[in-house]
Amino acid sequence: MYADYAYLIVGLPVLAFLLCLFLGWHLPRGGGFITVLATFGGLIISLGIFNEIYPDKIVHQSMPWFANFNVGILIDPLALVMLLMVTFVVTLIHIYGNGYMNGDPGAARYFAEAALFSAAMLGLVYSDNLLQLFIFWELVGLCSYLLIGFWYRKPSAAAAAKKAFLTTRVGDVLFLAGIILLYNNLASLNIALKPGEFLLQFPVIYAHIAEIPPAQLTLIALGLLGGAVGKSGQFPLHVWLPDAMEGPTTVSAMIHAATMVTAGVYLVARMFPLFYAAPHALTAVAAVGAFTALFAATMGLTAFDIKRVLAFSTVSQLGFMMAGLGVGAAVGAMAVGVSIFHLIGHSFFKALLFLCAGSVIHAVNTNDLREMGGVGRYMKWTMYTMLIGSLSLAGFPFFTGFFSKDEIIVIAYEYGTMINFLPYIFLVLAAVLTAIYTFRMWFSVFTGKERSDYGKHESPWIMLGPLVILAVFAFGFGIASQDSFYSYLDSNFEHYGVNFQELGIIGGHVLEGEHGAPEAAGGEHVASEAEHGENEAHGEPWYIQILPIIIALGGILIAGLFYWDKIKRFDPSQVTGDTDPIRKMLLKGYYQHEILTAWFAEGVVYGTALICNMIDIKLVDGWLNWLSAWVMGFAKNIRKVQTGVVQNYVTALVLGIVVLVVVISLAKEVGLV
Amino acid sequence: MEFAHYAPLWAEALLTLLALIIVLLGSLMKNSGKLMGGLSAAGLVAALGLVSSNLTISKPALFFFDTISVDGLSQFFKAVFLVVSLLVVIASLSKYTGKGADEYYALLLLATVGMMVVASSIDLVTLFVGFELASLSTYALAAFDKSRKNLEAAMKYFIFGSVSSALMLFGFSLLYGMAGSTRLADIAAASLANFGPATLVALIFVIAGFGFKMALVPFHMWAPDTYEGAPAVVSALLAAGSKKMGFAAAFRVLLLALIALRLEWYLAFAILAALTMTLGNLAACWQNNVRRILAYSSIAQAGYIAIGFVVVGAAYGAAPVLAFSGIVVPAAQLGIAGALLLILGHALMKTGAFIGTSQVASMVAAGSDGDPDDISNYAGLARRAPITAFCMLIFMFALAGIPPTAGYIGKFVLFSSAIYSGLVWLAVLAILNSALSLVYYLRIISYMYLKEPAGPKMAEQKGYVVALVLTTIAVVWIGVFPQSFIDWALQAAAVLLPQ
Repeated sequence: MYADYAYLIVGLPVLAFLLCLFLGWHLPRGGGFITVLATFGGLIISLGIFNEIYPDKIVHQSMPWFANFNVGILIDPLALVMLLMVTFVVTLIHIYGNGYMNGDPGAARYFAEAALFSAAMLGLVYSDNLLQLFIFWELVGLCSYLLIGFWYRKPSAAAAAKKAFLTTRVGDVLFLAGIILLYNNLASLNIALKPGEFLLQFPVIYAHIAEIPPAQLTLIALGLLGGAVGKSGQFPLHVWLPDAMEGPTTVSAMIHAATMVTAGVYLVARMFPLFYAAPHALTAVAAVGAFTALFAATMGLTAFDIKRVLAFSTVSQLGFMMAGLGVGAAVGAMAVGVSIFHLIGHSFFKALLFLCAGSVIHAVNTNDLREMGGVGRYMKWTMYTMLIGSLSLAGFPFFTGFFSKDEIIVIAYEYGTMINFLPYIFLVLAAVLTAIYTFRMWFSVFTGKERSDYGKHESPWIMLGPLVILAVFAFGFGIASQDSFYSYLDSNFEHYGVNFQELGIIGGHVLEGEHGAPEAAGGEHVASEAEHGENEAHGEPWYIQILPIIIALGGILIAGLFYWDKIKRFDPSQVTGDTDPIRKMLLKGYYQHEILTAWFAEGVVYGTALICNMIDIKLVDGWLNWLSAWVMGFAKNIRKVQTGVVQNYVTALVLGIVVLVVVISLAKEVGLV
Repeated sequence: MEFAHYAPLWAEALLTLLALIIVLLGSLMKNSGKLMGGLSAAGLVAALGLVSSNLTISKPALFFFDTISVDGLSQFFKAVFLVVSLLVVIASLSKYTGKGADEYYALLLLATVGMMVVASSIDLVTLFVGFELASLSTYALAAFDKSRKNLEAAMKYFIFGSVSSALMLFGFSLLYGMAGSTRLADIAAASLANFGPATLVALIFVIAGFGFKMALVPFHMWAPDTYEGAPAVVSALLAAGSKKMGFAAAFRVLLLALIALRLEWYLAFAILAALTMTLGNLAACWQNNVRRILAYSSIAQAGYIAIGFVVVGAAYGAAPVLAFSGIVVPAAQLGIAGALLLILGHALMKTGAFIGTSQVASMVAAGSDGDPDDISNYAGLARRAPITAFCMLIFMFALAGIPPTAGYIGKFVLFSSAIYSGLVWLAVLAILNSALSLVYYLRIISYMYLKEPAGPKMAEQKGYVVALVLTTIAVVWIGVFPQSFIDWALQAAAVLLPQ
């Protein structure tokens, strides 16, 4: 029954968007409560659908749109967990936003754009075909642009919005190219579609992956990966994400931590069978993910802006998710469950961390860690909820992040035993750094002396309420749902009868079922794990299992040694020094700005552009100038005619007739037609 | 002679009668403009109802010694004409209320009847009569406000139109001389393939006559002046309605009567289409008067629509291609359907856009003595007149062919048919032209949304607002739910091709 109203999950936020846009100015708090109600309605419907279809049914509704395309809703386990997460987190953030945006003159615009964003993200998640997904994908990008530039009179915000839009555009072009390539390949298969089936629908794609040439599959997968890299802020298209923190903190929490940036990971998960079948595609995913995870974590170590620390952390955690999918080359479809589990858990604790940061910023009116210190004395609730979020992010035992992140590290180890240890090493290092930078942030905000004169008050309850709820999930989600989550997600592709054995052969993956387990004896077969969803008994040595706990505790300890004032007095003057070359490099973000903007963009690209410009001026422009001069002259002549001499019009008419007659006669003569 | 036998033609009869009644009442009553406008709107709605009652007529119904055919194609065009006229009447309700309004509405109805007759004609004589009825009525309408500018616009339109009509009639008489009949079917039966110079001259004269209405380069020169100078709502009728009448006539005559000469008119239309869209778009970039921009944009759109003829010429009789969603249709049929969809879309978008300019001009005209259509008057329109600005924004996007709008669907089907029939160069040129057209569409949008307002907020007139909002909804509706419209156009296109 609830499934009949699935369209309302997108419909309600769209309605809220229109209401806030047109009537928000006349409503209290810019009509924010409408947006809350809309996403809350979506949450109710999603829960109803969950109740109806769990654990073994899916919802698929579709109707023809035009030509070869359809619009449709596909709610399978993968989509359902995303729907639940997005509606839940976004509802909480909207509630918080009602407090945070209170008094902002643009509140109505904020809530309208936030509602549109919710609609786009939810539509993206449950699209049943790639084209519709792409449309919502672009809409999400548009909303991100609008919301980053929300304070558009601030030049840095406007610039950040533009940067985000242009950078993700690079990925989107690749994504679109991937879709077109996929469509062409599917179309050339001459598939006999049943009524109600369309080429770009996911079930149809899944069913025909094996028939597409492997080389084409890799190209398609790399195109889609390009889109995912852009959206999920992976190296080298991650540069926009830290700058995106120019928007209101709620936007950072909603878009740039919990939901939108996960769209890239979701895309790879959604198309996982294709990535699995495409030779080398998952290797690229693993490489990008693992590298990004470590790379971003090192930059998180030195940032002084609390939101930038969290932004780098987001980039790094998204790298974990990508790597989790990438190592699926070794462990098969269970990688999707592991990666999405981290995605969901991350949404909870990262949303929590951002909202806590927002609460702190709301009170102290600065983003700079160096100007905070001792905030915990005045903001107890914020401090403890943020502690829970930080512990979860750091992977402290029994917190959500512990289960999800460590599972990725463990399967990366399996990948290592079978293929390559590099991702594993990168991820372990990144995990150590994660614990360090998280607690560096927490200690320097909440403990120690007050380092500037700031507002000393706790935030209102409309903001604290969501924090408490999110904290509950940041702590308990992992322990409560781990096993059922894996088994539920592992069943995702069974609904479509995807044969991973067959796809694995195309993709050139060593499948244990056929070749015997290459890893340690006594290890359970991963393929059978994927089927039965048993994740308890891995064949890893005990120290691999224990290592993540050591990592988390060790990282927190190291951070404490340096930043907890009970141990060592935090002195901002010591850390501002630009003399230390390593610190300076990290602070400068590996000189990316220097390399990408100053050297590559301004040096190489601009230099090339200058040369092209020379050619352009001399050759192309010369020709164009001649053409435009000719056109202008032509236009002038028309003007002359149009001063009133109608005879000239008629002359043109007659001339036209004569020319046509002559040309056609000649063409006949020559035999052209 | 049964009354019910003529049921498919009741719409034309109703509108003719109504036009006469309006003139009669107008001479008896004073200041009856509002009433006449209401009557016309009601009559057009009733006629639309009558036409749509047999919208997808399966077998052509022939009347008057096989000179009038009511079939899928005629109903498609009639629906387009009636919708355009209805929107124009609704928009005119704000403007024409006083003395002489009765004549305005009567002329408008007669022009509509003329266009409807053309859409149904399968005989050169009835076609010419319908053509002239529409032309003569619109000559008068173009001069209706009797300002200097109006008169100049109408005069140019009239002179150019007369010459074109004469040429077209000359072409018709040559055809009659060769075939011995004016019926399209008989002309097709008389073998014109025995190519003689007279045949080619007849063909080109006919194309020139239609090209005048379609405003194809180089038969377009009257259009910018007239669209700029005539009352804006009349420009809407000219660009959206009577221009499409040219296409209706050309489809019938070229595909039914002169199909033997398809290679000749294929070449002619390939030249005309390429020239028209390129020159139209280039010229539009240099204009500062919004109605002139729209006029050139309208010329460019005619160039796109003319691609339909090129496709038919290239792919006539070729094997069907697998087009969309499992439909197997000949590329020629897809080409005609694409042209029809663009005709439908353009009729709506352009009516809306011209009504928008009328709204702006009427609001600005009160306070300034400059050119009311100058683009500077559109600065900050989003804040001065938000509804008008938003509707204009949608029309500009639709004209540029951005999804999900009617403009996109038409271009999508038409350009794909060009690709299916091997005319890749033409499709590429058309797409490049679409990109070029963004220059001037975005220019208008940037004036409306990014510039500081040129004055205080203005009161938007109700009649205009109703027409604008209705048109916007239709444009977006077709863009979002296009499949039924594509099916309709394909079915209308089938009339022109041998079964």
